[in-house]
Amino acid sequence: MSSLPEIASQDSQAKKTQRRKFLDVFEIWNRKLHFYIGLYLLLFLWLFAFTGLLLNHPKWRFAEFWPNRKQWRIEQTIRPPVGGDLEKANDLMRQLRLRGEVEWTVGRQQPGHFDFRVQRPGHVVEVKTDFGKGIATVQHNELNAWGVMHVLHTFSGVRIGDARMQRDWSMTSVWSAFMDAVAVGLTLMVLSSLYMWYGLKLKRRLGLLALGLGLLSCLFFVVGLRLLY
Amino acid sequence: MAKAFYVFIRDLHLYFGLFISPFVLVFAISTLVLNHPGLAPEKSGQAPATERIAQNVEIPDALERLEGREQVRALQGIMGQLGISGEVGFIRYIPEENRIIMPVLKPGQAITLDLDLAARQVKVQRRSTGLRDALVYLHKSPGPHNVAVRGNWGYTRLWGWLADMTIYLLFFISISGIYLWFVLKAERKIGLVLLGAGAVSFATVIYVIAA
Repeated sequence: MSSLPEIASQDSQAKKTQRRKFLDVFEIWNRKLHFYIGLYLLLFLWLFAFTGLLLNHPKWRFAEFWPNRKQWRIEQTIRPPVGGDLEKANDLMRQLRLRGEVEWTVGRQQPGHFDFRVQRPGHVVEVKTDFGKGIATVQHNELNAWGVMHVLHTFSGVRIGDARMQRDWSMTSVWSAFMDAVAVGLTLMVLSSLYMWYGLKLKRRLGLLALGLGLLSCLFFVVGLRLLY
Repeated sequence: MAKAFYVFIRDLHLYFGLFISPFVLVFAISTLVLNHPGLAPEKSGQAPATERIAQNVEIPDALERLEGREQVRALQGIMGQLGISGEVGFIRYIPEENRIIMPVLKPGQAITLDLDLAARQVKVQRRSTGLRDALVYLHKSPGPHNVAVRGNWGYTRLWGWLADMTIYLLFFISISGIYLWFVLKAERKIGLVLLGAGAVSFATVIYVIAA
């Protein structure tokens, strides 16, 4: 028979072992997930990183796409659509065999006219309709590979401060889900790397220096600039 | 030799990763905000703006006729008189009223300057736009628009360099990460499956969207 202090000590030992086991499993999976996430998202990450670089350097001539776009215009007879703005746009897109995300180009439509833009990476289509004549003028702009990449970086279907812009094409939702996945994946990778680094006692000091330097310079921009200048 | 190389790359992967991790978080969180504008409450529309009018401001001759960087430099002289700093977003001249309107931006703050050139008077409207807009502003900065005037504030240029550096280091970290993973023989198969699955998803979704 064990005495009460012995039982308590055994209990505490068992809890410690259980905790250690949990931490071991956590450490293994934390490390595995760090590179599993990285490997799955690798190409998405490279795309967003590279296009971010291109967006910050609009003077890089090799990546020019707007002046090199292919353009053509067609006129087509249409049936006047009915319903709200989005329903009208969708009806016209069906008639004109267009697919993509609807963007509103005019604040208020003129009576008898209905203008909008249909966009997807590589394609910008301006649609101008005249219901009186029953005609739609469709201006196609086809972009090169650089243009496709540029648009992919920002193709979310929504815009801050513009409630009218809502995702209305299913593929925009799919793409924005990948954008979210990259953002969440990167956040998880950062957190898992912080955990792994903290476990390396010999690397703590230099790691803290690197992290502190990054954190201070980042905070300087996020909150410091407006407080100091 | 091979072990020394492995350790060297692993250390660089770690320290560079730690250094850029706050920047990566800024870009990741702002991506979620940009992708879901309703996620974080907007502060810019609610924050009350403070307003003041500065009189007898020294305005350079023919300011409205200057262009690009030259005009920005002249306007920065006026900003200096008013104790204002930041990135000049754009410059709009209204000839009928002989006025110049321009936003001066910094992360989390928007200032609008309304210059009455004839009266030598400047209306200054200052508004705090909050953390959400600060992150979004940094995400988009310096960006592809208004190339003629963009990067007119030293800190915008500095942020641009840091953003570029984050990207270059991210490339280094991802390539060194591939090397560090490949060394782990036990993880090769599942890693290759995930790499392949990522490549297939990437190619499929882009083909469906763009083709």
